[in-house]
Amino acid sequence: MRTRIKELRARYDLTQEELAKKVGVRRETILFLEKGKYNPSLKLAHDIAKNLHTTIEDLFIFEDE
Amino acid sequence: MKKMKAKLETIIGIVIACAVLITMLLYITKAGELQIEEYILIIIPVLLVASAIYILWDRIKNIKAGLPAKDERLIKVNYKAGYYGFIAAIWSAVFVPLTTEILFGYELIGGHVTAAVVIISGLVFMISYLCLSGRGNIE
Repeated sequence: MRTRIKELRARYDLTQEELAKKVGVRRETILFLEKGKYNPSLKLAHDIAKNLHTTIEDLFIFEDE
Repeated sequence: MKKMKAKLETIIGIVIACAVLITMLLYITKAGELQIEEYILIIIPVLLVASAIYILWDRIKNIKAGLPAKDERLIKVNYKAGYYGFIAAIWSAVFVPLTTEILFGYELIGGHVTAAVVIISGLVFMISYLCLSGRGNIE
């Protein structure tokens, strides 16, 4: 799984810590998400997508698609 | 409310860590001459307390930065490490008395078995927690 979190975070000029604060997780969780090393819950995926003004489908890209 | 709970948990953790350290200090000062096996039995709880202090320090750092003390990933880590600790407790409750009897020829008393189970499961929990929290996916 790949994500566009890093790209969109840069677009909205947000640091990992700022995004973490907005969605209520620790900074390391955002780091693992950006690296595609962590599968978030549906709620967290929704919160991140909402804060980055996008949709879940647009944010998370599955390799086999 | 969540922040209050996290702060309270951290304070309780610090109190428990201090209580364990004071108890061990009292034990060392009162015990007099210690054997090598007794030193090993002291070093393991000290390592456990040190790991617990590291986890507490990490929590305090996050609370101070305005971030949650634990999130969904860390809760999963906690559950998985707890599961490994539980399995280790069951296995050690069976294997510690058996191995001491087969290998060394003496029967352990209940108190020693309980101590071994607590130390082994605690050690497994701490190692699993520290390893899993440094990894992304826990599944």
